[in-house]
Amino acid sequence: MGSRSRIFEHGLSKLLFLNTFWLAAVPSWAVPSFARQTGMACAACHTIFPELTPFGREFKLNGYVLDNIKQITDIDVENKQTLALNSIPPISAMLEVSYTHTGSALPDSALPGALAKDGEVLFPDQVSLFYAGKIAQELGAFMQLTYDGAADHFALDNTDIRYAHHLAFGGIDGSDHHLILGVTLNNNPTVQDVWNTTPAWGFPYSGSSVAPTPIATSQVDGRLGQSVAGVGLYTWLDDHFYAEVTAYTAAIAGGAHPLDSTQSNVAHGLSPYWRLAYEQRWARNSMSIGAYGLDTKVHPGNGTPLQGATDRYKDTAVDFQYQFIGENHLATALATYIHESQALDASVIDQFSANASNNLKTLKLTGEYSFHRKIGGSLGYFSTTGSSDMILYAAAPVVGSANNSPNSNGYIAEVNYLPWLNVRLQLQYVAYEKFDGLKLNYDGAGRNASDNNTLYGLVWLAY
Amino acid sequence: MIHLAQKTICAAALYAALFAMNAPVCAADDVPSQGSPDLATVEQHRALQGTIENCANCHGANGRSVSPTFPNLAAQTAPYIEAQLHAFKDQTRADPDAQAYMWGMASQLDDASISGLANYFSKQAAAPGKSGNAKLIAQGKQIFTGGILERGIPACASCHGALAQGNGPFPRLAGQHAPYLRKQLLVIQSVLRTAPVMHGVIKDLNRDQMQAVVAYLESI
Repeated sequence: MGSRSRIFEHGLSKLLFLNTFWLAAVPSWAVPSFARQTGMACAACHTIFPELTPFGREFKLNGYVLDNIKQITDIDVENKQTLALNSIPPISAMLEVSYTHTGSALPDSALPGALAKDGEVLFPDQVSLFYAGKIAQELGAFMQLTYDGAADHFALDNTDIRYAHHLAFGGIDGSDHHLILGVTLNNNPTVQDVWNTTPAWGFPYSGSSVAPTPIATSQVDGRLGQSVAGVGLYTWLDDHFYAEVTAYTAAIAGGAHPLDSTQSNVAHGLSPYWRLAYEQRWARNSMSIGAYGLDTKVHPGNGTPLQGATDRYKDTAVDFQYQFIGENHLATALATYIHESQALDASVIDQFSANASNNLKTLKLTGEYSFHRKIGGSLGYFSTTGSSDMILYAAAPVVGSANNSPNSNGYIAEVNYLPWLNVRLQLQYVAYEKFDGLKLNYDGAGRNASDNNTLYGLVWLAY
Repeated sequence: MIHLAQKTICAAALYAALFAMNAPVCAADDVPSQGSPDLATVEQHRALQGTIENCANCHGANGRSVSPTFPNLAAQTAPYIEAQLHAFKDQTRADPDAQAYMWGMASQLDDASISGLANYFSKQAAAPGKSGNAKLIAQGKQIFTGGILERGIPACASCHGALAQGNGPFPRLAGQHAPYLRKQLLVIQSVLRTAPVMHGVIKDLNRDQMQAVVAYLESI
């Protein structure tokens, strides 16, 4: 077997790996568990799911602990509380049923020249169980266990367990300033964030798990979701200033354990994540600007040992959010720009990439509108550009790039109807102007970017 | 060490805040002097402080809210706050926002907490008035102080006070968010919110007149 075909095999498996991860990174939703615990309707914490209102952000930053149901309690001999347990567990379920139709059918996975069925119903697309709420007095959790219909497996999905302590200080009565000091334990960089600009809870809030998606995405943009564990410290001062530092390390469920060469994209050592944000609220408006970043060393794995050289990804991002929450009209603008520097020392040795260094730039812009939280629509623009790499972005049917480029851009349009606040009917259309480098014949096998345009219908029930 | 120091500052500040509740001398000039019975013990005060922080998430630190979805509570009359919290808890106040937000929030409050919260917020300095459309404000002032004779609408000031500062069970309206007040007038008029006296008083108040009177009230 010649070296070129080995390169191709490596490149293809990398492409498939990247693509699989992207698909798995579609965010999930908010849950009625919190409504059960707080006795408050969805509108208290959300504009449209899963976007948080200012109160929703406070609820999360305070550790998911606000409760308005009967507590089972205990105290010690010094009258300190040792137990404060919800008498009814804040559990809920979510069911997603979807329909996906792409611009043209995808190739059959086994029969060369044949086409797969186009127009697919997933029942379920996803089923999730949640425990979301208080654990103890200042300790709470958002835990999601998900069955993925396409992948046919159960897994622990987005999870964020947090402790939050509130302090007041300053002024004559000691209440001029309010500070939350918190600790988060989570499995997805940015799942702990409270603005909907960062990847874990960013737009689109749902998407097809069976349609092709562009080849490249940065590490902070979902590639490490559910494959790391992180512990972080955060502060929230006077409802304005947010700062956080979290350290992640590899924590992959399934596959070989201890982790070995059969795993992929395995974080090496500690990966620091940082976040700064400033929020201003006035009347019915709120606006935030912020920055975040992740510095990750990874072993590519995927048939190569988890030793020696590593790839290093330095992600730096800025974000902006504006919300208007009126009685009748709700509007949101979201923006984020992520820059990733890649030093691919290990991938070059392992022939997963041709270049020792690459970069990747991602821009996401979204506008959302909702009338009475009943009927709404969103329009998003996305763009990824970066260095060309003949191995990393090798030509391959559907998932490769004929010109070895990760450049992709397009639009996402969405309409939503919520007959009840916990039932959502959604129609989404994703249109690609460029897919993996080109508009026409992008994969070198005759497929055009528009062939991947995706119509996605979703029935979402949370109860 | 830093953490301990912060805790100490916090505890001292908390005690200062709690004892200040019983000290009208510390209150701002326009704070009404009436109040509910004070809580008996420091432990009760401590428990109340956590609840106040919960209220502050929407109603703002010291009861002055940012969003007009949520009313200012600062300097509101204690009997009115107390009555409303009981009405939320008993689910007898049933307008949409009451159901969405307050039924849950008030469900676990006991009588002592309700009294304590009413007392605390009644003693906070009122939100200042906001400037607005002068013509509308003048029209609203006329309605507030003189009523609308031809429609049989009495002067609002006769119950709510000449300065809209409230009077016992009749709420303070001065400095309140105009959109909030307008929504209350609408839900009272449509009987989504039960308010026996007000049903009769405002049944013939039209939308333009509502807009004027709430603009005036927000401005003072």
